[in-house]
Amino acid sequence: MPGNIRSVSFVVLVCLLFCSRLTSVGATPICTNAHAGCHVLSLSNLFDRVIQHSARMHGISNDLHSEFEQYFLPSRNQIGRVSRNCHTSTILTPNGKENAQKMAREELTEVILKLLVAWRDPLWHFHHSMAHYDDFNNFSSNKALEMSDMVHELRKGVEKVAEKMQVLGITSNTVNSLTSPEALLPSESAEWRLMKDYDLLYCFRRDSNKVQNYLKILKCRIVPEHGC
Amino acid sequence: MGSPRSGSRWPSDDQVLKSRSALSLQFFSSRLRNNIMAVLSSSSNILLLLLISFLDWLSTQGSAFIMGRDHATSSAPVEPHITECISRNQETFRCWWSPGSFHNLSSPGALRVFYLKKVLPTSEWIECPEYIYSNRECFFDVNHTSIWVPYCLQLRSQNHTYFNEDDCFTVENIVRPDPPVSSNWTLLEISPSGLSYDVMVNWEPPPSADVEMGWMRIEYEIQYRERNTTNWEALEIQPHTQQTIYGLHIGEEYEVHIRCRMQAFTKFGEFSDSIFIQVTEIPSKESTFPLTLVLLFGIVGILIIIMLIVVSQQHRLTLILLPPVPAPKIKGIDPELLKKGKLDELNFILSGGGMGGLPTYSQDYYEGEPWVEFIGIVAEDADTGEKDNQGSDTQRLLSQGISHHMNISFPDDDSGRASCYNPDLPDQDTLMLMATLLPGQPEDREASFNVVERAPAPERGERPLVQTQTGGPQTWVNTDFYAQVSNVMPSGGVVLSPGQQLRVQESTLATEEKTQKKEKKHKWSEDTEDNKQKELQFQLLVVDPEGSGYTTESNAWRISPPPSSPMPGEGYQPIHPQPVETKPAATAEDNQSPYILPDSPQSQFFAPVADYTVVQEVDSQHSLLLNPPPCQSPPPCLPEHPLKAIPAMPVGYITPELLGNLSP
Repeated sequence: MPGNIRSVSFVVLVCLLFCSRLTSVGATPICTNAHAGCHVLSLSNLFDRVIQHSARMHGISNDLHSEFEQYFLPSRNQIGRVSRNCHTSTILTPNGKENAQKMAREELTEVILKLLVAWRDPLWHFHHSMAHYDDFNNFSSNKALEMSDMVHELRKGVEKVAEKMQVLGITSNTVNSLTSPEALLPSESAEWRLMKDYDLLYCFRRDSNKVQNYLKILKCRIVPEHGC
Repeated sequence: MGSPRSGSRWPSDDQVLKSRSALSLQFFSSRLRNNIMAVLSSSSNILLLLLISFLDWLSTQGSAFIMGRDHATSSAPVEPHITECISRNQETFRCWWSPGSFHNLSSPGALRVFYLKKVLPTSEWIECPEYIYSNRECFFDVNHTSIWVPYCLQLRSQNHTYFNEDDCFTVENIVRPDPPVSSNWTLLEISPSGLSYDVMVNWEPPPSADVEMGWMRIEYEIQYRERNTTNWEALEIQPHTQQTIYGLHIGEEYEVHIRCRMQAFTKFGEFSDSIFIQVTEIPSKESTFPLTLVLLFGIVGILIIIMLIVVSQQHRLTLILLPPVPAPKIKGIDPELLKKGKLDELNFILSGGGMGGLPTYSQDYYEGEPWVEFIGIVAEDADTGEKDNQGSDTQRLLSQGISHHMNISFPDDDSGRASCYNPDLPDQDTLMLMATLLPGQPEDREASFNVVERAPAPERGERPLVQTQTGGPQTWVNTDFYAQVSNVMPSGGVVLSPGQQLRVQESTLATEEKTQKKEKKHKWSEDTEDNKQKELQFQLLVVDPEGSGYTTESNAWRISPPPSSPMPGEGYQPIHPQPVETKPAATAEDNQSPYILPDSPQSQFFAPVADYTVVQEVDSQHSLLLNPPPCQSPPPCLPEHPLKAIPAMPVGYITPELLGNLSP
């Protein structure tokens, strides 16, 4: 009986943990006028913030990649070697300007969200693995942590943008299918563990550039006022 | 050595390569140590170590065009290789190759380019879609370009394949944007010192880059330098299409060019065409500044001078600009009385009432007034009064009055003489005037006449006093509304307003003298003769009321009794201006010219004021004789009473009706 009680209590704790995690993962509702102290942002403003965020994320990833390349692989270009796929290669992304233009807004938004979701866990693990490298610069380690946080925040931001677009009627309601992003990953969950750190950085650098590009295309298509 | 933390995140190609080459060994050794330590724990570390070593060895060979071509490995013959691949707009890209030292492969077609798109796990090499042999270039158009997909290129000759792993890339990493276009500059401002200025440079993004869609996000870098210098000054990279350059020097020419690159990437495009900035001195601003100051100070100085002049010359200016207005002044009357509301007092004073009435016409009172002329009158003897043998009381009264009056000492000097008067003949004046005043004393008159005759005789052509006696120009000086009885003659004549009379006489004398000097010479002689002839004639001449100007001719006319002239006994006769014309023309003209005659230049023997008359005599019938017969020059004035009593009538005014009424 005491074993049962222990297991039951453990299950309860785990449930609580998961529940909290689930609730935290859930997208926060868009601030409406009814809420006090809430500052309503325009779609253009939201887009600007998100794009700024993605640009910074891409910058950090670029820095990390170049630093990593500099420290660990100083001699040659690794692109040829890295031609094995990133774990996000299964996500269909437009590879050209026309393809991106032809893609619908909802699809493009979905692609962005998929990418962001796919990178949350690998980056978290990468940050932990960075600690093992004693010679690696602490600053780079901080960057890795910052990067993983950024991905998390960027995903939230893009989700907010998607919701706003839905509210404004710009997009249809198909984006809501992404409420459980973890469902996308199970098939790929093991793959990223096999990736090396360098490959991971390389892949992330490429994907962050994709995200930035797609977000900019979306913004210039929907709210082309400022800065297009 | 790490990339700079605070500055750009993107180490340049050179930096990366150098750092890598410099530290590779060091870090590698450290890493190796660590790896050896950990090799026992993990097999992956061993693999990593092997991989690192292998890759390092590989880097010595071939070309690393992705990272730059700084290190030259000239030991082995250079085999054909891909020189460079560049994308301008992230939609297409080009690759150039070189045969290297294998010159036999330089001909077109000897080498072929194959590329591999690593999209799928299994992919194959495809030949270049478009060759440009002139440039040894392989062009990949839009359909053959995919972003975020690794490309690998290889060269194949007939029997050999030249491939380098380094020739793999992704398109977004080889983007070098075109330079910006249409750059221009505008002057922002010049510093107050005038030595430096700020400039705003504007440009357009390259037309090949699709910025509107958001496909390319470009950052710009401006570099400038003074002309003929070698070092460029670079400003911070920023994504906007304008930038301000601060602190340029006036007068120097600057060269500016701009280049751009993709955001978060490292490869810059080419520099744009240089634009030249030069700002020369702007003298207008500086010159106007002191000019305005000078003008301002000048105006202020002039104003101050004017103020000083005004203040110093205050009195003079007030005199010039605001001359004093003479206040009304009548001697004896306070100017206050002339103000409104005090008319009664004024009348009282003027009428002579009260203690402070207007004083009589004494010379002392009029001492200060030059326009008042006093004529001296010799006091009459008491004999004159007796000669009249007037038994009536009035006669006596009058005579006494006269004597009384005559006792009044009139100054017999020429104090009252006007300037035009001939000072040589003071006595004559007094005598003549006396004679006129007292027509009742023929003896005197005779005497006076004699005197007059005598006087002018030696001095012929002198002043025709005689004429003035009889008549006189009518220059009435009507200043008084009131007539005072100032003198009563023993003969009974009452002299009214002697002052007026005097004035009139004076004026007549003056005018006569002025105008008829020469002409009267002739006349005078004539007249004197006539006078002598007609001494005994008695003539009572009534002065024509209208006639104001007495003329000698008229007198002369009377003296020489014309046939038409009535007998003296007939009494008066109106004197018309017509007879004047019969006289010599010369005199006639003279008579008329000088006088401002109100009416016809009638001869008047006596010139009384229009509003009053002088009672010369009172006859036995108690009638007033107003106009005594002129006994002076030509005709013997009536020594005695007039034959007829002339009723009192206004002096000077006689109308035809009245004329008829008057009975001689």
